[in-house]
Amino acid sequence: MPTITIDGKVIECASGKMIIEAALENGIDVPHFCWHPALSVSGNCRMCLVELEKTPKLAIACSTVVADGQVVHTNNERVVKAREAIMEFLLINHPLDCPICDEAGQCKLQDYAFEHGRTASRFSEMKEHKDKRVPLGPEVMFDGERCISCSRCIRFADEIGEQPVLTFVNRGDHVTIDTFPGTQLDNPYAMNVVDICPVGALTSRDFRFKARVWDMSFNDSICPGCARGCNIQVGVRNNEILRLEPRTNMKVNEYWMCDPGRLGEFKYVNEDRVAAPMVREAERFAESSWDEAYQRVTAKLRTLRPAEIAFVGSAYATCEENYALAKFAREVVGTPNIDLVPHSDPSFADNRLRVADRTPNTRGAREVGVAPDKSGLALDAIIAGVIHGRIKALYLLDHTLPVNDELAAAFAKLDLLVVHAWNMTPAAEAAHVIFPASTYAEKEGTFVNVNGMVQHFIPAVVTRENERIMGMRMSRLDRFGAENDRWTHGRRRDARPAWQIVQSLAKVSGFNWGYGWSEDLFEEMARKIAPFRSMTYEMLDTYRGVELGRGDRPTPHGFTYVAHDLRPQTLAEHEV
Amino acid sequence: MSLSEQNFPKLIIPPIENLHRLDVYRANGGYEMYRKALTMQPGEIIDEVKRSGLRGRGGACFPTGLKWSFMPKGNDKPKYLCINGDESEPGSFKDRLIFEANPHLMIEGILIAGYAMGIHTAFIYIRGEYHRWVRIVEEAVEEAYAAGLIGPRMKETFGGSYSMEIVVHKGAGAYICGEETSLLNSLEGDRPYPRVKPPFPANVGVYGMPTTINNVETLANVPVILRMGGEAYSKIGAEKHPGTLLLGISGHVNRPGVYEVPSGLPLLDIINDLAGGVPGGKAIKAVIPGGTSMPIIRGDALEGVMMDAEGLKAAGSAIGTGGIIVMDEDTDIPHMLRRLIHFYHHESCGQCTPCREGCGWLEKVLTRVDTGEATSEDLDLLVDIANNIEGNTICALGEAAAWPTRFTITRLREEFEAKVKPTLSLPVLNRVHSLRPSAHEEAAAVSN
Ligand SMILES: Cc1cc2nc3c(=O)[nH]c(=O)nc-3n(C[C@H](O)[C@H](O)[C@H](O)COP(=O)(O)O)c2cc1C
Ligand code: SF4
Ligand code: SF4
Ligand code: SF4
Ligand code: FES
Repeated sequence: MPTITIDGKVIECASGKMIIEAALENGIDVPHFCWHPALSVSGNCRMCLVELEKTPKLAIACSTVVADGQVVHTNNERVVKAREAIMEFLLINHPLDCPICDEAGQCKLQDYAFEHGRTASRFSEMKEHKDKRVPLGPEVMFDGERCISCSRCIRFADEIGEQPVLTFVNRGDHVTIDTFPGTQLDNPYAMNVVDICPVGALTSRDFRFKARVWDMSFNDSICPGCARGCNIQVGVRNNEILRLEPRTNMKVNEYWMCDPGRLGEFKYVNEDRVAAPMVREAERFAESSWDEAYQRVTAKLRTLRPAEIAFVGSAYATCEENYALAKFAREVVGTPNIDLVPHSDPSFADNRLRVADRTPNTRGAREVGVAPDKSGLALDAIIAGVIHGRIKALYLLDHTLPVNDELAAAFAKLDLLVVHAWNMTPAAEAAHVIFPASTYAEKEGTFVNVNGMVQHFIPAVVTRENERIMGMRMSRLDRFGAENDRWTHGRRRDARPAWQIVQSLAKVSGFNWGYGWSEDLFEEMARKIAPFRSMTYEMLDTYRGVELGRGDRPTPHGFTYVAHDLRPQTLAEHEV
Repeated sequence: MSLSEQNFPKLIIPPIENLHRLDVYRANGGYEMYRKALTMQPGEIIDEVKRSGLRGRGGACFPTGLKWSFMPKGNDKPKYLCINGDESEPGSFKDRLIFEANPHLMIEGILIAGYAMGIHTAFIYIRGEYHRWVRIVEEAVEEAYAAGLIGPRMKETFGGSYSMEIVVHKGAGAYICGEETSLLNSLEGDRPYPRVKPPFPANVGVYGMPTTINNVETLANVPVILRMGGEAYSKIGAEKHPGTLLLGISGHVNRPGVYEVPSGLPLLDIINDLAGGVPGGKAIKAVIPGGTSMPIIRGDALEGVMMDAEGLKAAGSAIGTGGIIVMDEDTDIPHMLRRLIHFYHHESCGQCTPCREGCGWLEKVLTRVDTGEATSEDLDLLVDIANNIEGNTICALGEAAAWPTRFTITRLREEFEAKVKPTLSLPVLNRVHSLRPSAHEEAAAVSN
């Protein structure tokens, strides 16, 4: 293992590494634009110039391999001067339109200009002008003037998106990015270029001009779009999700997420929500109080035999919620009839992140007991039971059952149909009682991904239920906003996580579970369910996920690279 | 005795009529040096080239034998030879003469070099604008193929088991394609962006395989070395930069053209004797001795400057491609520099920040200097911009723009001071706005 010295700090590192990696892994951040750990090295921005003793020219840290005995200076006078020069060059033709740029506030060019640039410009010529609104594809917009020609997007399209459609055209200071004739950037990972573009040259056509990042909070979450469970951050303003973006987790999704996940997994959180508990009165729904709805459900269940009652858990719901549901079915109602609906779409799967299971938590739901035991009915039998009238009460967790005509007709014959719903669904339309359910973005809990990785996430959107904890967990430094802070505005919805709803129902039946938080359920799971043994939320955060059965020996997550450094850091990041 | 009366050896361009024709070339001993090479071990040839002291004629003066020895031995991967005939630097036009007058000498050099390094494919990369010379070289290569001097049939012609394929490739017309790694990308059909080194081409070259890149003139010297022996060759001209040089002389001289002379001659004698001096007997204001990217030398500093790598180094310049540009006393130096930087701005590939942004900035400021809209401070700024480019770029085009700027301004500052103003009178208060063409109209409108 070569030993090198960077700014006086002696570092041992694996051979073959570039200086920039060795430095970053040891907490020394060599300023850089074009280098990205997942992409090939282009060495074109020249921001990472460092001095190597005994080498006459400055060398780029991103393309210089560590060698035993190397002495590197990243901050001496010569390096500082070179960096200032690079910043000056990058800015002379830059439009400086930060006031209208989506990237402002999390832009490397801004950060570095502040940190390494000159105070005043020496450039008094006319700037070069380029096209400012070039759609590269359905989701990505390009601004030629903001582009610093780092080629990250080109390399991403070639190497990760596996759709080599981007290229530089022209030369000198007329260089710009374009798509090859007849092509567009539309691979399922295309929007990741928006995140890795170090400036505001590539913007999301969905998010463009919607908000300033400093008006937003970014909380850690997990994409519920498929069983990969990509780690994400949820960007919220006025209690409305404006965008999702990937969060680095080398054990799960590396630096990326897919476009369907990014664009498809927040609009249903913002729009057309079930606003309050609903109780069917004859042919119509009436809003009711929570207690009234609990009473209604409990009263009905009491009239039926356990064998006439069936539960359908949800792979969209957390482990904790499914655990609570299974416990309610077995211990309170006393029925073995509980199962899960699969949501598989083989056409969604690819060889990068996307998998056929379009739910985030099939494995978790199964592990915590959402599966029929020998005496219970499996899903097919439950449906058949509903159709043939053997099942008289059906309890459905979040968005789970596709409803065909036959089932709809059968639903009408049920004595009781309870549905937890985010938005109105065909199943909810047929329900006797609807509970407004918290989406993944409004609750805390765990999902277990396709590889058995248990991952913890926290809410990003405030509801009446989670308001207390959200104050503590907001990513923003000014999280205890006053009334005149715009970000604190917005509607607080009256939705609850399933474990709370089920616990309340249990309480009406005289079972006092006493869970205060999702974490209380997880503690119980970690005691009772072998694959979760020894796990805690804190451990899941620290290790960025722990595989089932490895609570006693979790795999470390290693070095994590965050491209947008000045983004408000999340709680988990502060603690690790 | 003046230089023009001396009988220098003409090793590369001998005065033989129609030497570009294969029959003439062969009648004068052509392709016999390749035959001789076959009697030697590859390593011996490389040693012979090392002994000759031959240094690359492409601009960097890198020792050729040493470069060849970097190529990995053995045949586990294909290896390639690229012949750099992109010749696009202003003031450089000597490889063209080899294409025209003695192409088979270059081809024979390619065969010898290929045999020495175990290379079986060579690409002759010729500047896109050299239509006529591309045709000449193509014809020469075809003729050599037809005669069984290249290709599979060369085994029958010469015996032995070695054979070489030669491909002529026409560039698409960009100066940057002469940079050796850019040339490789261009050959592969990519944008001609220079590559970040390491890895060096000897390890990862064209198509990812070990590759040697040599200038046309460099390879044309190789058969000569085998004929004379390395030892004898190393005695020609300057000790540390031996051999004859093809010097392209242009600018204010009576007889511009390409001259083959031994290295190490006095630069002034070359200008005055070979090139016939300056028209009208005018004084020389400055000389660029090696193609436009090399540092300029003041006319009053030419005395004693020797035309070889070490001699020019001592004079604060470099030999580059040996393209000598002479400027008489009436030359508008700031205008010259502006035009020259326009070239580098136009040719910067735009890959790396300092050159992409810096070259344009240099040209913009120089335009103001040339049109009298600049101050002394702008001259300092130019030097500073040049210094900020130099050494910080991916390829040497950065230096090619920085050096002329820095050296021309520092060495001939009075020429620039004469064109700038002590202060600028700005038509409107804001300096940036003032420089816009419309600012003058605005100011006029306000005063009306
Ligand atoms: C911008 C630029 C342009 C160049 N153009 C040429 C050229 O046209 N011909 C050439 O032989 N070398 C050119 N070179 C030098 C080559 O990179 C390389 O050093 C040379 O071909 C090596 O050959 P040699 O060792 O035989 O001199 C250029 C270098 C740079 C940086
Ligand atoms: S668009 Fe962004 S990522 Fe692409 S080259 Fe320009 S600055 Fe780099
Ligand atoms: S791959 Fe799956 S988990 Fe990842 S972003 Fe796409 S839908 Fe979401
Ligand atoms: S120095 Fe200039 S020509 Fe060379 S790679 Fe950089 S931008 Fe291109
Ligand atoms: S990060 Fe090294 S050159 Fe861009």
